[in-house]
Amino acid sequence: MAAVALLLGIALGSGCAKSSSKNVIVFWQFSPLAAIQPVLDRYEAAHPGVHVRVEQLTWQSGREKIVAAIAAGRPPDLCELGSTFLPGLVADSTLIDLTDSTANLRSDLVGWDVSSYKGRVYGIPWMLGTRALFVNDNLVNEAKMDAGAPILTWDDLRAKVQAISERCPGARGFGMNAGEREILFKKFMPFAWGNGGNILDSAMTRSVMGSPQNIEALQFYLSLKPYSLLDRQEMHEQAFIKGRLGVVISGPWLIRKLAQEAPKLVYSVQLMPQPAKNRGTHASFAGAEVLGIFRGSKKKDAALDLARFLVKPENTMPVYIATGNAFPASVSVGTDTYWDRFPQDARFLDQLKTAVGPPLHPKWVQIEEIVNGELEEAIYGKKTAEQALHSADQRIDAVLASP
Amino acid sequence: MRRLRGAQGLAPWGLFFAAFGIFPLVYALALSFLAYNPLRPDLVRWVGLDNYIRALQSPSFWHALRTTVIFVVGTLPVTLTLAYTVSGLLASVRRGAGFFRAAIFFPATLSMVVIALVFKSLYAEEGLLNGWLGAMGLSRVHWLQDPALALPSIMLMDIWASVGYYAILILAARKTLPEEQFEAARLEGLTRLQIERRIVLPHVRPVLLFVVLLNTIRSFQIFIEVFVLTRGGPLESTLTLVYHLYERAFYHFEMGYASALAYLLLLVVGAILLVQRRFLGGDPMEARAR
Repeated sequence: MAAVALLLGIALGSGCAKSSSKNVIVFWQFSPLAAIQPVLDRYEAAHPGVHVRVEQLTWQSGREKIVAAIAAGRPPDLCELGSTFLPGLVADSTLIDLTDSTANLRSDLVGWDVSSYKGRVYGIPWMLGTRALFVNDNLVNEAKMDAGAPILTWDDLRAKVQAISERCPGARGFGMNAGEREILFKKFMPFAWGNGGNILDSAMTRSVMGSPQNIEALQFYLSLKPYSLLDRQEMHEQAFIKGRLGVVISGPWLIRKLAQEAPKLVYSVQLMPQPAKNRGTHASFAGAEVLGIFRGSKKKDAALDLARFLVKPENTMPVYIATGNAFPASVSVGTDTYWDRFPQDARFLDQLKTAVGPPLHPKWVQIEEIVNGELEEAIYGKKTAEQALHSADQRIDAVLASP
Repeated sequence: MRRLRGAQGLAPWGLFFAAFGIFPLVYALALSFLAYNPLRPDLVRWVGLDNYIRALQSPSFWHALRTTVIFVVGTLPVTLTLAYTVSGLLASVRRGAGFFRAAIFFPATLSMVVIALVFKSLYAEEGLLNGWLGAMGLSRVHWLQDPALALPSIMLMDIWASVGYYAILILAARKTLPEEQFEAARLEGLTRLQIERRIVLPHVRPVLLFVVLLNTIRSFQIFIEVFVLTRGGPLESTLTLVYHLYERAFYHFEMGYASALAYLLLLVVGAILLVQRRFLGGDPMEARAR
């Protein structure tokens, strides 16, 4: 009982980020400390008298901790924020406008669209994440398909997952997310974006979820269901590691897992398929980790200086190499020799070029909930693709129209 | 003097309870009458009973309440019956009693997060349970992906996790029955079943009531299991009241509304406990006094 107040109270007590000295910058972020500390050590060495007090947040409870700290009026000076959390903070005017103070960074970094709302910038792109296709080439061969021919189109994808499902005993063709509503839009929207569809219109005033492009994409996505393993993402990845799943949509972290747990598995990382040859794009989901400064920060200038340091390519590459989760937003890292040695990782850099982020709309939390709910209804066969997306249209428009 | 010493002894606990028990209760009650977004504390405003009215008019609230009640009604009788049966078996064990008691009690020593993570692996499409079913020539079961099975799967896990704790409580009450009473009953020619019904059951009844109340309160608060296993899905089939409350508080930043949900939960649980006590009779505190 009274769980909310207790949670809030505990979080307030533990999450207060009060700087004890004038020269302390409080920085909250999600990477393991072992990955970020060497970078911060270099910053401190270059800025004598300044100490960065870094704290690692977890993806499970980071949001609650940040909310509690803001509520207490004692947020960190600089904070790493996920792109899906950002809209709510922008909506509540919690972050300071960085448009002018980051103007000279614009050409050095990519991902500004994910951190901008109505032309104003509320976060500095730090790391970018995307998803691509992992294909088990052993299973493709076993299914008597050509593993050398990449999956380029929707038809290629369906043909391969169907063949794997039908010809490889004990294996399923495709990993379709189920039982975790919260990530469904990330898995479906790449097909819709690739087909020219979207969630909101360009003015972000109306839903376009029920567009013919989206309906066609959802119909295709649902056509993969008979050949799919319906489970949570981590279970898909386990099945892929064990060689029992043909194709899974995942991120670069799976490359490292595979190297450790299934070093003999023959697989390839491929771009998300486009609808058809010469039609659409190889779109995928783009998530950004941005650096934001709260209105309540006591050291805004120092935080901005630290953020500028962190997004430099020589400081972001070590974080990627240590974690393997998200890619530096710095444009110039594309020429790093690291990618020549790790071509699977480099494939994600290619994928990022056609990846699309969710709209930075103040009501994104409600919109995302509706999209995920309707997609779930379609995946579970409660609604057809048309019914689900038209219902999403109506519900999102109602949310957009509400004060 | 003795009274003063007693008060001194209670003071640390009293302070702790005031800080982490009374204060959150009062604070949440105050919040429930406000529109309060923690990101915009400057926009806080008094809304009176609006949060309560909104909850009572919300289909999501009623759906979450219904799911929670199904969970409670589904787990309570099974947990109670199993715990009572297991306590009887433990009482009759002569050799290795310590081992069996420890084994039965073991789940109670584990964090619910750990238990849920283990069951997540067991319930996976490619998990151990489906592996066994496959080995027996049976088709896979979509334990957590099928909307009809997700809640029962969580209930099964919860029963496994809580039976041991309650069985040991009931066993402790059984052990307070003098052996002479059993011998007299046997001399009277009572069968084992009759001994259970006429002697043991009435004796442990206050503890059983205590278990019913405790399990009811705990089951209404189900959160961790849902958070780790299903996040309320699929198709909101496992959306319980506390998980719904959590989503409103920390995803939609509606702390006032979430607090109103918490107080509605308190009212529901309180009413059910009163009804349970009235129909089951007895005072669970007697069990502690024995």
